[in-house]
Amino acid sequence: MRIAVCLKQVPDPTTVEVDPLTAALDARRLLYIAGPADTAALEVALQLAGAEGHVSALCVGPPAADAVLRQALAAGAAEARRLWAPFLPLQSPAQTALLLAAALQRGETPDLVLCGARSSDHGSGQVPALLAEFLDWPVVCDVTQITVEGGLARVQRRLDRGAREELEVPLPAALAVEAGIARLRHASLTGLMRAERAAIPVSELDDLGLEPADLAFPAPTARMVTPPRPRTRPIFTPDSTRPAHERITQIITAGVTRKSGKVLEGPPEQMADVLVEFLRERGFV
Amino acid sequence: MAFLSKEASLALVQRVHRLIGMKNGVTPHDAPQRRRQRSAPRPGAERFDVIVVGAGPAGSAAALVAARAGLKVLLLERGEYPGSKNVSGAAFYGSAILHELIPNWWEQAPVERHLTRRVLAFMTAETSVAIDFRTTRFAEPPYNGFSILRPRFDRWFADQAVAAGAFLLNAAVVDEVLWEDDQVVGVRVRRDEGDLRADVVIACDGANSFLAKNAGLQREFHAHEMSLGVKEVLALDEATIRERFHLYDNDGLAIEYIGAITEEVSGGGFLYTNRDSLSLGVIGQISSLAEHRRRPYELLETFKRHPSVAPLVRGGRVREYSAHIIPEAGWNMLPKLYTGGMLVAGDAAALCFVAGLYLEGINYAIQSGIAAGETAVAAHRERDFSARSLARYLERLRARYVLTDFANYRHAPGLVNSPRLQNLYPELIAGAAEQVFRVNGGPKRKLLPIALDTLRRANISPIHMLQDAWQAGRSFGW
Ligand SMILES: Cc1cc2nc3c(=O)[nH]c(=O)nc-3n(C[C@H](O)[C@H](O)[C@H](O)COP(=O)(O)OP(=O)(O)OC[C@H]3O[C@@H](n4cnc5c(N)ncnc54)[C@H](O)[C@@H]3O)c2cc1C
Repeated sequence: MRIAVCLKQVPDPTTVEVDPLTAALDARRLLYIAGPADTAALEVALQLAGAEGHVSALCVGPPAADAVLRQALAAGAAEARRLWAPFLPLQSPAQTALLLAAALQRGETPDLVLCGARSSDHGSGQVPALLAEFLDWPVVCDVTQITVEGGLARVQRRLDRGAREELEVPLPAALAVEAGIARLRHASLTGLMRAERAAIPVSELDDLGLEPADLAFPAPTARMVTPPRPRTRPIFTPDSTRPAHERITQIITAGVTRKSGKVLEGPPEQMADVLVEFLRERGFV
Repeated sequence: MAFLSKEASLALVQRVHRLIGMKNGVTPHDAPQRRRQRSAPRPGAERFDVIVVGAGPAGSAAALVAARAGLKVLLLERGEYPGSKNVSGAAFYGSAILHELIPNWWEQAPVERHLTRRVLAFMTAETSVAIDFRTTRFAEPPYNGFSILRPRFDRWFADQAVAAGAFLLNAAVVDEVLWEDDQVVGVRVRRDEGDLRADVVIACDGANSFLAKNAGLQREFHAHEMSLGVKEVLALDEATIRERFHLYDNDGLAIEYIGAITEEVSGGGFLYTNRDSLSLGVIGQISSLAEHRRRPYELLETFKRHPSVAPLVRGGRVREYSAHIIPEAGWNMLPKLYTGGMLVAGDAAALCFVAGLYLEGINYAIQSGIAAGETAVAAHRERDFSARSLARYLERLRARYVLTDFANYRHAPGLVNSPRLQNLYPELIAGAAEQVFRVNGGPKRKLLPIALDTLRRANISPIHMLQDAWQAGRSFGW
């Protein structure tokens, strides 16, 4: 099986220092590493590929990002490639995803692309989905478990409040792996030395068959958002016409009635009617 | 050394060697029972001419020298990058030495400020008396010293070794030295397939060297021979630093404190100015920290609250905090510095000079690193890596005044850590100064009566005074 892993270089949190006056990061002190979700993706890839498989690592980044790719080579990736457009400010997840997609479409197509679910710096979590979109592949995000059988990946996905969802995806597919589901192995000394000596090939726009114009995605607009003030809540006063013991109960419960849901059952048309009636009653439609 | 014949210098070297061996009481031959199981490298281990363990100042200097001579050099560092494990701020007094190795190094290296002002302060709990030395002559190349931040400086220095052709491998912890017969032939790194071979292994792994002990060259230390340094880097803006410490442009200041700052614990304090931060810390003898049940960071807090220190650090924001041990007993704890196939340099060889007004380790680390690198190069030229051949290392250390300095100052650590010097004398000096300056309506007294009065009240016997004066003379004077 051929697996490609997309890694991002992010600042090592222990080297991040913020100037209290300007709130700027001290860039001279930053050191870059691969984030925890990315290293988990790499480890999962190495495990899935096993001895026969082939893992390649990709990273969009400046020359300093080679360190991240070397880490992948040391751990056992067979191949590493850095993607970069030296004179373009690469910022948006869409640009990153486009470069990755272009690189993945050249050469032998992998069966599986693994990404970290979100990077530890910006953490938009968009790259895996955009990448799958550009490749026209299925994507599953927030993946906590993967097994591959035949041309099918069976994955478990994290939902809210601890819930999990099991899905089957036909390969090739893109999967975004959650941090912490695997711990990157300790590289052997031989691996480390080989990685340290390896020359890391770089693909720039020309090599990827792209033009600067292809990367001109509409600029994202940023809006300043201030946290909302908490909604004012009227203080409960008990109904003075009620008898004393009822008023006391009212005070103790503060007039709160437990929220309760209602689960509808029956044929779909009937359920839809009830739903519409419910919404109309409350003035939503 | 140059004027000695080869035989004479070898004889001298052997004498020094015997002396060191004797002082330590442990040599590989004396102590077979303490020797660990010796392992040989696995077949197929990659071979280097020289392996340097530890990319601190000693290791980078050794690797640089060996790589420049065309040897295949591997520099192993346990941290994520050289300097990542090192205690940050420092005053580096080896500018001229480094200048020899890398001309005008300060133009390209990450230095903070050149030190033109040095202060030695004697403190009691409320008072301080200081000697304040300042010269513009230290503001001219090659400069006398610089304040540096170790993570940046060490990384730069290791990069110089890499540029000279050394191969640097980070995240590689060396776990043991590997032997064939009585010859060190490599090291084992804590990773799978971790064996590496080398004709010469240079141990530069810092204070309390694991490698020197593993090879049976160093005995276990006593608690009174080691100190613990705790250090902080406080961020403070450039303009404030210039104004507060009366500095021009990039001039810098180093203050050494003796006396009450470490309370009853033997030790001292220091404060250096960086470009936009201060490095300050206290050093406490481990045995006396334990005896007085004091925690090192408590001492640091007391130090920062001292009335003569507090205004200097006001408004500083803690940027880094770290602690590290320092080999303090100087000459008396030097290990055997070589064996077949192996040399020891820098703090690993306890070549750290700590005595009151001096806290110098980096310059000796670089000196000894250079000497070790040169010794390895010479050994390769003759293809002789036996203990006999590597014994020339001692000659080179003497020629660079490293061993001679440590021998000359061999009495200093004991004196500096004595309770009278630590607490009583600073007290006396401060007390006398106070009487000189105080105006309280009484008669103005002359200096001699004040001095005699101070001594009488201190309740110290003239014999002890004389002993201390003799000790001080012997340690620092002649
Ligand atoms: C608080 C404090 C303040 C000081 N202030 C000053 C000062 O102002 N001026 C001054 O000149 N000196 C000062 N010193 C002393 C100075 O720090 C040392 O003397 C100097 O760092 C010695 O250099 P070195 O290269 O021998 O060792 P180190 O700088 O300690 O470097 C050793 C290197 O080896 C690596 N290493 C260790 N073990 C292994 C292993 N098993 N495998 C692989 N790598 C390993 C370490 O990670 C480290 O990078 C101070 C020390 C302390 C603790």
